[in-house]
Amino acid sequence: MASMAAVQAKQPSFSVLPSSLSDFNGIRLTTSVQYKRKVLHPRGALHVSASAAKKILIMGGTRFIGIFLSRFLVKEGHQVTLFTRGKAPIAQQLPGESDTGFADFSSKILHLKGDRKDFEFVKSSLAAEGFDVVYDINGREAAEAEPILDALPNLEQYIYCSSAGVYLKSDYLPHFEIDAVDPKSRHKGKLETESLLEARGVNWTSLRPVYIYGPLNYNPVEEWFFHRLKAGRPIPIPNSGMQVTQLGHVKDLATAFVKVLGNEKASKEVFNISGEKYVTFDGLAKACAKAAGFPEPEIIHFNPKEFDFGKKKPFPFRDQHFFASIEKAKSVLGWKPEFALVEGLADSYNLDFGRGTYRKEADFSTDDIILGKSLVLA
Amino acid sequence: MATLASSSSIVFTANPSSSTSTSSSAARSLALPPRLTLSSLSSSTTLSSLFSNSPTSVAYSTSSRRVLTCIPAFSVVKASAAEKKKVLIVNTDSGGHAVIGFYFAKQLLGSGHEVTVLTVGEESSDKMKKPPFNRFSEIVSANGRTVWGDPADIGKVLEGATFDAVLDNNGKDLDAVRPVADWAKSSGVKQFLFISSAGIYKPTDEPPHVEGDVVKADAGHVGVEKYISEIFESWAVFRPQYMIGSGNNKDCEEWFFDRIVRGRPVPIPGSGMQLTNIAHVRDLSSMLTLAVENAAAANGNIFNCVSDRAVTLDGMARLCAQAAGLPVEIVHYDPKAVGIDAKKAFPFRNMHFYAEPRAAKEILGWKGTTNLPEDLKERCNEYVQIGRDKKEMKFEIDDKILASLKVPVAV
Repeated sequence: MASMAAVQAKQPSFSVLPSSLSDFNGIRLTTSVQYKRKVLHPRGALHVSASAAKKILIMGGTRFIGIFLSRFLVKEGHQVTLFTRGKAPIAQQLPGESDTGFADFSSKILHLKGDRKDFEFVKSSLAAEGFDVVYDINGREAAEAEPILDALPNLEQYIYCSSAGVYLKSDYLPHFEIDAVDPKSRHKGKLETESLLEARGVNWTSLRPVYIYGPLNYNPVEEWFFHRLKAGRPIPIPNSGMQVTQLGHVKDLATAFVKVLGNEKASKEVFNISGEKYVTFDGLAKACAKAAGFPEPEIIHFNPKEFDFGKKKPFPFRDQHFFASIEKAKSVLGWKPEFALVEGLADSYNLDFGRGTYRKEADFSTDDIILGKSLVLA
Repeated sequence: MATLASSSSIVFTANPSSSTSTSSSAARSLALPPRLTLSSLSSSTTLSSLFSNSPTSVAYSTSSRRVLTCIPAFSVVKASAAEKKKVLIVNTDSGGHAVIGFYFAKQLLGSGHEVTVLTVGEESSDKMKKPPFNRFSEIVSANGRTVWGDPADIGKVLEGATFDAVLDNNGKDLDAVRPVADWAKSSGVKQFLFISSAGIYKPTDEPPHVEGDVVKADAGHVGVEKYISEIFESWAVFRPQYMIGSGNNKDCEEWFFDRIVRGRPVPIPGSGMQLTNIAHVRDLSSMLTLAVENAAAANGNIFNCVSDRAVTLDGMARLCAQAAGLPVEIVHYDPKAVGIDAKKAFPFRNMHFYAEPRAAKEILGWKGTTNLPEDLKERCNEYVQIGRDKKEMKFEIDDKILASLKVPVAV
């Protein structure tokens, strides 16, 4: 059952563009398309040596990470195609994105429409196009990677978005890339994909983020807190609130993805990618309040075992310590996060929730169970 | 009558469980990181301004020229090691830090440096009958010199000896360190190192403590750090947490072994989720040695002198039990509800107390070797070998805690 392979006939642009500064959501990038020239980023040390411009395929790219990654890659002068079912628009102007920046991006971004679970279609359409590099941002199972590898025998690099969720739970933290992984974890598909990449001998790189946050997040991470802060409600946090977790800004993750492109130091390597510091659950509630300009919240600790929430989750984080060391990425790639936690949460708030946009409606039903309020039935 | 504190009782068998194993599948075999290129090292003054106690949390320096900064190539460290130094260690006569000087002395001697250890007090004092002092013959037989005296009279004690580097592993405030620092300065000591404490970091919601984070302004160590940075051309400060290792003067893992080998519950205040950092003292020693051998790189920096992993308090109990091959029953309690002083009842801070050794890794190329599961086995062997498992012990505070929680103790 072949899906329509509508590859839009927009010409990839290898022309030399005038340098222009595009203030994109707070990260300034110069656009310049030159072969084999270092692209300098005035803010911080975002050094990416864009050697030859590459023909890049992103599996996904219209939901969260890929939105930012695709823009960075297009700005670097690469030809970028998004493989999606087309449910979301290929290009949507983002809050904070300039009109000219958006126009430039939407004129260059390409679309390969299809369902990645249709393996035959994936293989044939990718083989027909040919790509230098694949960013697999939304792959969950090893089987999904196979047709891509089969279609592109000369693939220069397969860059995979894995997850720190693959690590075996431990008392002895942070998780380092050499640590034991859990073949039974919820993320075992990611592990199996990493193993497949290794076994197939392709030049692969895998990034393992922890919790990702930032504008357009579809996972209710910061949004969960913002809903409660806005409603003036207490924040119910399980157990001690001392559990230590870690958030990484989506733009820092996208930068890391760009950093590993064509980077021989990233060849066949795994990198944890997240924020510089970790944070307690209680601390995260306070940080969200601070970032969004709310007063310090009332935090209620509860014992999850004392309640029956049905299928709903009373809290969006794993109830355990969960954090990973990013020192390998820092020392090997020279990458580092630009956003500290409160600053990053403010970026998310100012560009998303604070403007009235969010992905999920507020649902305080589990909160009310905890707070002992009875639900009013119509 | 204390109210019943909430407690949870976890019976944990000693089966190897989910604690770390450094083995990994073949797919993730340790591809050695590519050799790091030596980038231009930032000047030490740039670094020291970054690592000063500024209120903002400082990310590491990013040179606008190069991507990799401040990572010495391996060969740089080796080259400096060829130069032999005369090092003085001013060592405390008791407490958790005492063992640091012992390992540091032995490591320096092993590398061919000249070492003098000045221990506070008198050689004949009772304190010298405890480890590590009762093993100072190991320093002497390695050609180290051991002397005793009052650091306030250091000039007299050392009678005109000269040194390249001095480590003060004694003073907790400027009153104690100033005489040593002033004497060192006047006698031409080039490099001054100070054992401070990670305890001076202000508690944070965003662990870990990293070099440059805000410290408690009124902490005695802070005054020392500031003073030596002002008077010495070459200085470095080390902030340790807890340590284990043969020759330790203060109980660490022993506290857990005492209970585990006797089949007693292990009472841990709070949730047991508190993160701490417990290093093998050899890691502290190796960091100090790198600082002496690469003084230029170390200069002007603060180093968290800790292992590269945190462990929860519950986790430490479990690791000790695994090392002993025995089950452990952990009992949590609220010290206030029970009416006891947590500091007396338990050897670790009842809060997250977790620093990471980021500066040492980035600036000195230091690598941590602490491996608690393995190291605790060795510690347990010694614990049994010296007969401490058979020693008569009282657990008065434990009993009080357990009584208030109504936890039965097998007699």
